[in-house]
Amino acid sequence: MKFQIPNSKSQISFKSQIPMIKTCKFGVSVIGIWSLLGIWCLVLGISSVHAQEGNLAAWNKLVIEAKTSQDLYAPLEAIKEFYFKNNKYSDFVDYLKSLAQKKKSAEPFVNYYRALARYQHLKYLEEKQLWDEYFSQGNAYRNELTEGCKMAIAATTGQEPLHIYARLLLWQFHKDQHDSFEESALSDLVVSAIEYSARAKDFKPIKEVADKFFVYKEKGRSKEFYKIYAQKLITSQMPDTELAKAASKFYQEGNLDLSENIYDAYIDRVSKTLPKEELIRVLTEIASIFAYKDEGPSDPFYAEKIFKKLEDKAGKEAFDQEVMYLRGFNLEKAKEYPQAKAVFDSLALRFPKSTHLDEVIFKSGLISAYVLRDKDKAKEYFGKLAQREKNFTAQAVSGLYQLGLLSQWEEDSNAARNFYNRLLDVAAGNFSDTVALARERLKEIEESKPIEYNLKTFLDLSLKKENAGYDMSKIDLRSQPYQVKRKQRVSVDSTAHTAPTGCMHIELQYLWSGHLGKAQTPLASQAEFETSYSSSGTKEINLVVVSPTGIIDRSLDIVDIH
Amino acid sequence: MVRSTKCEVRSAMRRAGRGILLAACGLFFMALLCGVSPLTKQKVFIKTLPGSRYQLMVGGRPYIVKGVCYNPVPIGKNHEYDWWSDPAKPWLVDGKLMKEMGINTVRFYQPGQNAEAVKKVIRDLYERFGIRTILGNWLGFWEYPCPFYADKSFQEKIKKEVLEMVGLYKDEPGLLMWILGNENNYSCLGLINKWSSEEIDKEPDPQRQKAMRANIYYSYVNEIAREIKKIDPHHPVALGNGELIGLEFAKEVSSDIDLIACIIYRGKTFGNLFNSLKFTFDKPVLISEFGADAYDAYLKKEDQNMQAFFLESQWRMIYQNLADYPQGAGNCIGGTMFEWTDEWWKHNEYDPAGWALHSEDAGWSNSSYYIDIRAPKNMNMNEEWFGLVALSKESEDGLNKRTLRKAYYVLREFWKKPVLNNKKKKKR
Repeated sequence: MKFQIPNSKSQISFKSQIPMIKTCKFGVSVIGIWSLLGIWCLVLGISSVHAQEGNLAAWNKLVIEAKTSQDLYAPLEAIKEFYFKNNKYSDFVDYLKSLAQKKKSAEPFVNYYRALARYQHLKYLEEKQLWDEYFSQGNAYRNELTEGCKMAIAATTGQEPLHIYARLLLWQFHKDQHDSFEESALSDLVVSAIEYSARAKDFKPIKEVADKFFVYKEKGRSKEFYKIYAQKLITSQMPDTELAKAASKFYQEGNLDLSENIYDAYIDRVSKTLPKEELIRVLTEIASIFAYKDEGPSDPFYAEKIFKKLEDKAGKEAFDQEVMYLRGFNLEKAKEYPQAKAVFDSLALRFPKSTHLDEVIFKSGLISAYVLRDKDKAKEYFGKLAQREKNFTAQAVSGLYQLGLLSQWEEDSNAARNFYNRLLDVAAGNFSDTVALARERLKEIEESKPIEYNLKTFLDLSLKKENAGYDMSKIDLRSQPYQVKRKQRVSVDSTAHTAPTGCMHIELQYLWSGHLGKAQTPLASQAEFETSYSSSGTKEINLVVVSPTGIIDRSLDIVDIH
Repeated sequence: MVRSTKCEVRSAMRRAGRGILLAACGLFFMALLCGVSPLTKQKVFIKTLPGSRYQLMVGGRPYIVKGVCYNPVPIGKNHEYDWWSDPAKPWLVDGKLMKEMGINTVRFYQPGQNAEAVKKVIRDLYERFGIRTILGNWLGFWEYPCPFYADKSFQEKIKKEVLEMVGLYKDEPGLLMWILGNENNYSCLGLINKWSSEEIDKEPDPQRQKAMRANIYYSYVNEIAREIKKIDPHHPVALGNGELIGLEFAKEVSSDIDLIACIIYRGKTFGNLFNSLKFTFDKPVLISEFGADAYDAYLKKEDQNMQAFFLESQWRMIYQNLADYPQGAGNCIGGTMFEWTDEWWKHNEYDPAGWALHSEDAGWSNSSYYIDIRAPKNMNMNEEWFGLVALSKESEDGLNKRTLRKAYYVLREFWKKPVLNNKKKKKR
């Protein structure tokens, strides 16, 4: 049986190219090499079209000859791909209609694919802004979509993948529309998918449901179904090594939820079998994979969960200084500052000769002062760094600056001046970023001026007890990357979570202060800026966001320049 | 005897019947003489159906508000311009176009100063085009320096204004309902037109402060609604509200409010608004301000399709949640989209030179209108381009020439046949 693409437009497009070839061949002697090449490409193109047409005929044959509904999935998917690739949605619908007449048993599939075609069709029209068709046919396509899904659902049992796919598509449609049926479509889908997962052997629909939930930011639901899917994989007698490979593969694909679920199951398994040393290695490796990094996917909260598991199973001794630093850094980037400080303190205590020592002491000082509002404790940390006689690191120099700043804020100008002057002495021409800041502060003291407005506002909000309501929850402040080399670009971005104001636009002011590098002080209208640093060290970036009716919140971010 | 008695009774009844008929006719003619025609005095009310479904009833029949916000400020003028007294009578040109499109209601945010001119507009729209009017009041939201809703003298001043408005227009046959406020609830959150009181200032918890402001504000609006009903029991009173924000407080103190009039800008849809409202404030809802602009801030050019795309989708959602649509929430009574004509003064109201320029600068950002969200700083909402009708400097009958945008035609077709797939399931 020769398969014909049922839509006239497609037939025209295939046939109309054949006479063109003949015409070109006729003129071979008079055309140049480029024309010959062109003809060759055309011939190749036609061959490819014919090849696809041939495939289409073959797939259609498989559909027609399919003995069971299971046999219909693959060829119909291939046919769908062919039409969708060329955005020929109406052609596909026409094909399906003709198929329905030839093969009654394929009707549920016909209805589902008809719905899917219209779903993609509407998306395509919107994306390409083909508005005439969108406005004239939109309602008809939407009806075809919902009807198709409902008919496919009615004609299949809960144990058939098609049933789940049709429910998924219907939910996607209503979700996109945000219409009245969204909730009922969602609960129908969830119930059906759970029932399906209890008995079915083909897990693919479960993963597809979870994937779609993930895409639509239904995080709770996607986790639930990834868990079910992971459970299916686990109970399928898959060896441990294969399970770990599957988890790693999903991580590489950026599907962290699924990867974490499988890793959890994997850890459960190997915890009972692996010797302690090997288990420490495995857990450390998994935590490191998920710990914050400037590039690639990460989930600092999952990483911390695994670090905690490692501590529970093997005690603090399981952490060497690098793993401990990674744990603290990961918590710092997750803005879990008090926990980060606890890890940094522990690192400083256990590894007093660590290469990270000055950095973690300095960070504990920053966290004490500007997060926990404990300036006395902060002074202790900064004091530890400042008390050395020689080998001043960038953090030790910054420690002196912070001691000066806290004294200046307390209006103890003499003490502040001493710290700043000592800083200039020990810097010996290095640490230019911090030296510049110290000079600015000294100038303020000499001229009996208050601390620069943005910085003073940040210090007031961070240190005064009565400002405890400003708890850093209303501003999201991020830098990218966090670990950079000198003179490398750093992007700093902030989002303030304000009360809604409808269609009345509110101008917010962004009061930047701290170690801002080359950008110096960005304009108050700038929610983000780019900078770079000429000297290494740990740089604190401070922000206060102000609305016309008052302060919204403050925030702190820390960047390490190596 | 018995028979004769019966005849006497019948005869007496006939006489009495004639008397009643004569009295009724007399009353009818007296009513006509007094100008109170039973045909024009139509009661507007909300009918509650099972399952918290609501229908607006006008003249005894269900009424879907197919409305538009109307403020035909000409090019070169600003919001202070008294278009109500414009000799070119823009509402006559616009009313005809509205009727042809299928619009049955206009919403005025606040009537003009000249009551006779306002009455003329309301009557012309109703008598010539069958278009009804929703009248609103800002409730002092734009008073300088802020609306002091906690201050008794401020409250009394605004209440007096509102009741005067009701007294003036309540008998206009074309009147549909009252809307109190617009997005005034945002002032309770403290970012817009923030107001306070000594008691609020003493409260250290900012969340509690917001709750205190909301309680004061909504109690006050309810008090006005109660007073309105004493003088006008024939028209519903709506609470104007930005989104659903604050309605959890309104719920406790708004027993005299008949419906909620929501200002919603959520792009293609209204999200879960209709269902969520049932839980927070179970009253009917009019989407009293919604829409889309016709300017692509990313490509920097007019885009009528983008506006038509959003508006058609928004109206579809409204229809899906009307009382007679079985699968929807059933609590929506319609909408008044924003707006009929472009308003060229809006981008910078303090710059008179700008009132004659059609500004291409966006005034705010809303990621739900995703087509042009890639505009610089995501500023994609062009306040001067929301009209279904574009204005040009060319004059036609003393008015800025009107050019209908695509949304006009798309919605006209939608209203003719709102395809919603709302067939009820057949009972077997």
